[in-house]
Amino acid sequence: MNKSNHIKSGNSAVRALRNWAISLLVLGVAWLLCSSLKKLSSSDVYVPMIFVLAVLIISLLTDGYFYGVLASIVSVIGVNYAFTYPYMKLDFSIYGYPTTFMTMLAVSLVISTLTTRVREQEKLRHETAQAQLKANLLRAISHDLRTPLTSIIGSIDTVIAEDGHLNGSERAELLGDAKKDAEWLVRMVENLLSITRISGAEETVISKSPELIEEIIGECVSNFKKRHPDVNLKVLIPDEPLTVDVDAMLIEQVLMNLMDNAVYHSETMTELSIEASVGEGFARIAVSDDGVGLDPDIIPELFKGQIGASKGHPCDGNKFRGIGLAVCSAIISAHGGSITAANRPEGGAVFEFTIPMEDSLQ
Amino acid sequence: MNIRDKILIVEDERSISNFLRTILVSNDYDVIIARSGAEAYSMITSHCPDLIVLDLGLPDIDGLQIIKSVREWTLLPIVVVSARSHERDKVQALDLGADDYITKPFGAGELLARIRTAIRHTRTGLANETIATTGKFKAGSLEIDYDKHQVLIDGSNAGLTQNEYKIVALLGKCAGKVLTYDYIIKELWGPGTRGNNQSLRVHMANIRRKIEKSPAEPQYIFTEIGVGYRMVEGD
Repeated sequence: MNKSNHIKSGNSAVRALRNWAISLLVLGVAWLLCSSLKKLSSSDVYVPMIFVLAVLIISLLTDGYFYGVLASIVSVIGVNYAFTYPYMKLDFSIYGYPTTFMTMLAVSLVISTLTTRVREQEKLRHETAQAQLKANLLRAISHDLRTPLTSIIGSIDTVIAEDGHLNGSERAELLGDAKKDAEWLVRMVENLLSITRISGAEETVISKSPELIEEIIGECVSNFKKRHPDVNLKVLIPDEPLTVDVDAMLIEQVLMNLMDNAVYHSETMTELSIEASVGEGFARIAVSDDGVGLDPDIIPELFKGQIGASKGHPCDGNKFRGIGLAVCSAIISAHGGSITAANRPEGGAVFEFTIPMEDSLQ
Repeated sequence: MNIRDKILIVEDERSISNFLRTILVSNDYDVIIARSGAEAYSMITSHCPDLIVLDLGLPDIDGLQIIKSVREWTLLPIVVVSARSHERDKVQALDLGADDYITKPFGAGELLARIRTAIRHTRTGLANETIATTGKFKAGSLEIDYDKHQVLIDGSNAGLTQNEYKIVALLGKCAGKVLTYDYIIKELWGPGTRGNNQSLRVHMANIRRKIEKSPAEPQYIFTEIGVGYRMVEGD
């Protein structure tokens, strides 16, 4: 809590500094322009125009009303003092003076109001989109949680109630199912934990550090092999060690979700492959299978966390699919990368994500 | 009647301590349970257990505090149980002297393996018993020859540099146990080099290219992301 407050106050200090800098810069430019024009022509009609323009620009670029109003007052005094007769003297009795002042003030107020309103609307739109995303995720989650819980309770109830009537293998099968579902719940909860870490208010709270891609893949692979010892897995990594600045736990989760998806949805898969490679300024990791591939209609919807919520896309009990990919997408974009899904020409699906690499890390 | 190892479980969740008790008792351990940090303190001194399974999230005392004060007077092995949300505590616990950690949720097999390793390490000291008698560590086709300062793969020299050999040798001596980045760096390059584990990572990447068939599917040296490295148990 403390830390985020600190960041926020730091942010507002930076904003104030930026606002002041813009105001001073624009006024300075206007001043210089007027001074140099004064040497070229004896007329001074352009002076108020230039300053009105300056006030307009300041109101447009700064936050709130303060800077615009301040700029208009400064401009009026400045114009009066330096650029109108008598020069270098304040004289508030000049003809037309109130008009100039009122014009500038009006310009600054109108522009500030407009920009503030536009910004508020933008923020509101953003918040609505966030809320929508959260609502979608929550819907998908509660839906996804109910299925395995029902099966766990059912299996265990049966074992307890029918203890005398079950033979050894029936019992083992029921308990095995319960265990599988419980394991799936664990991964779901880990996805949820990741969401809380990446969608904490405005600032993301992921903790990045330089990590070797092969180590992240390595840990995923050994965890994966424990859970799916029968899957034929192929891993390709570049000869040169590849370092990326990431939150390793989160990237591991992305890989885990993609690999699990391949196992649960590709149906006819005989080989799952993971390939890491280097592109222009980014690292790329692709998870591909040679299964049935993706329904082209659902590809654009894949990363939105809504599959199964919309009717017409039958997928097996909607399990394992609801939020996994939405979480992947959120994690990757929090790292400044992108994630895509496609069908391979030779059959099967490929999910690919990129992570930007800094030159200094290579 | 055989004498059994006594294990103290420090865990406030009743259902978890029940399940731990069941698997440990059925695997021939004596089990005592403490439900709070204060209770744990008194049981450690009065019962002198052979190993502690310690949950870091206790109601009264920070689990790390318990490790710290136990380590002041005994090397009694401690296996830490942590939740995923306490990643940093894991490293801290190991650096404070915990012997190993296991992340919730875990299976019975994994826990028993950790407990066996931790007890054996404390019994035989840091150096593995086989290393002490034969001067060699073997796991699959990997062999560390401590007398000749060589690492062999399928009987032929893997060609490690001096630094690389030192890392592998250290991991071999503590096979089965996770060593934190900081610990490895301090052991190898002295206490002055704290904080930068980048060069250790690069060394490890090179080592893997020399001893592993596929560096991203390691058979011998495993990465514990964010924590450190663990050498596979010797044969």
